[in-house]
Amino acid sequence: MWRRSSAESSDRFEYLQTLVTEFQDTDSEEAKEQVLANLANFAYDPKNMDYLKELQVADLFLDMLTEENENFVEFGVGGLCNLSMDPECRDVILQSDGINLVTNCLSSRREETVLSAVTVLMNLVTPSSRSQITHPSILHCMLRFSLSESPRLRNLAAVFLQDCCSEEQVSRARQQMEVQQTAVGIPLPKD
Amino acid sequence: MSYSACVEASGIRGSSLMATPVNKNDCWRVPEVYKHHEQRKVCISRPKYREGRKDKAVKVYTINLESRYLMVQGVPAIGVMTELIQLCALYGVVEEYRPLDEYPAEEFTEVYLVKFQKLTSARAAKRHMDEKSFYGGVLHVCYVPEYETVEDTRLKLQDRRGYVRRAAQYRAREREQKEAIHEEPTSSSETTTTSDQIINRHNQTSDNSNAGETLNISHYSSFPPLPLPPQEHHFYGHKNQPVMIPTEDKMGTLHNVVPDIKQQQEQSSGSNQTYYNRNQGTEHRPNSNQAPAVRFVPRTTHLQNRKRKMEVTGEHSVTVPGQNEPLIGPKLPEPSKLDMEDESLNTTVGLIRNTMKQVGTVSDLKPVEKKVKPRRRI
Repeated sequence: MWRRSSAESSDRFEYLQTLVTEFQDTDSEEAKEQVLANLANFAYDPKNMDYLKELQVADLFLDMLTEENENFVEFGVGGLCNLSMDPECRDVILQSDGINLVTNCLSSRREETVLSAVTVLMNLVTPSSRSQITHPSILHCMLRFSLSESPRLRNLAAVFLQDCCSEEQVSRARQQMEVQQTAVGIPLPKD
Repeated sequence: MSYSACVEASGIRGSSLMATPVNKNDCWRVPEVYKHHEQRKVCISRPKYREGRKDKAVKVYTINLESRYLMVQGVPAIGVMTELIQLCALYGVVEEYRPLDEYPAEEFTEVYLVKFQKLTSARAAKRHMDEKSFYGGVLHVCYVPEYETVEDTRLKLQDRRGYVRRAAQYRAREREQKEAIHEEPTSSSETTTTSDQIINRHNQTSDNSNAGETLNISHYSSFPPLPLPPQEHHFYGHKNQPVMIPTEDKMGTLHNVVPDIKQQQEQSSGSNQTYYNRNQGTEHRPNSNQAPAVRFVPRTTHLQNRKRKMEVTGEHSVTVPGQNEPLIGPKLPEPSKLDMEDESLNTTVGLIRNTMKQVGTVSDLKPVEKKVKPRRRI
């Protein structure tokens, strides 16, 4: 990490501010997508965290999760995936009902969206939020993901179940799932 | 075993060179062509202010897209695997590598899987090698996280979280340091105001006493010594002469008296440790000092003293009690003066003597008159 001069810092902040302004002002969906992707990529670099916090970009990303445009959702949750690695951003997301908004993304048909959503949920785990994130419905979802064809999704779901839950929680969820599925009449896939 | 033999062996036996994968990711299965391997179309509609150095597609990079595993496509099939791996090794330690023969490749090209020790190395290699020419062909480099094991994925996420947290702590520390630097000038200015207050206090005390004393502020080396206040009534005798009783000013008051400045300076410079304290200076005056203590004497007492002096001197003159006329006639022998060794006592003695003289002159007159009457004989 190199030391940044104050001039560069203010330039960087102003640039990010310009992006946010363009996003809010423009009517072009294409421009919005580009700017959103830019902001999400800026969120990958920890140097930008402070500026993005100041510009309340986490809230911007959260607003995208309820959009119909699937690109908006994918880029928004991708930005949250990057931001939520930072503890302060994580807290901001938690305070803005982030768990519920992100959980809804688990049912997206876009793989990148689902992968980002699983990662965000893992990042949001704190002693106080753990119970909400390891809710049985979410655990059922993760169990299904762990059987997916996609290796990336399988791996992420496996890490979620191993790191965020206790073994009892997982086995209980698994039992519940079996009951549900046999009740419906659909057999579980057998390897 | 030669490199070519390695290649053949890997081609037949597949995963012998790789760490045994736990999941179903062995290369007997035809690797799926994932969407994220594909090169997307470059975005051409970007406004100028948002244009990057290179034309890029609209894509968001998250930790899930990145991986220590890279796939390199477009390698000319002319037996340059060694050179390729040497090129990769410029960016970091390569743990494993093998050709991906099963992967759909363009004619006359090969595809390789390269596993780096660190994600940062893979990131650097991708950035530098992607779209670069290599032995007549153009390389296409992309991440292949699907080749990760569960453990690979877990470690990747943990490393990333730790890195971002450390960066946040570093920034917080920098912010604290900056705030500390901003606080230092205010603390020095606080000391400045304190010393200013002390100096103001000195000025006030000196004004009240009207004393021409030097403010001894030598301990405040950063502040220049104040100029001496305007000096009044510095007629107070010289050092070595006996100092007279303080005289009055025009109003008859004594509180404007200015004691000897030089002597005060000598005293104070010796005894001061901190700031100049006027009270300390007067208390610590040594006994050998010839400057008298300033004593306040009421005006009425002075008038009476002067009157008595005049009367005392006036006794010895025959004619006029005025002091200016010459003395005529022989001086009568003065009665021996009893010195009480105290000024007030001497004054009292003088008063009594005068009274007795007045009484004495009155009685002398009477008998003289009686003697003047003549006697008659029969």
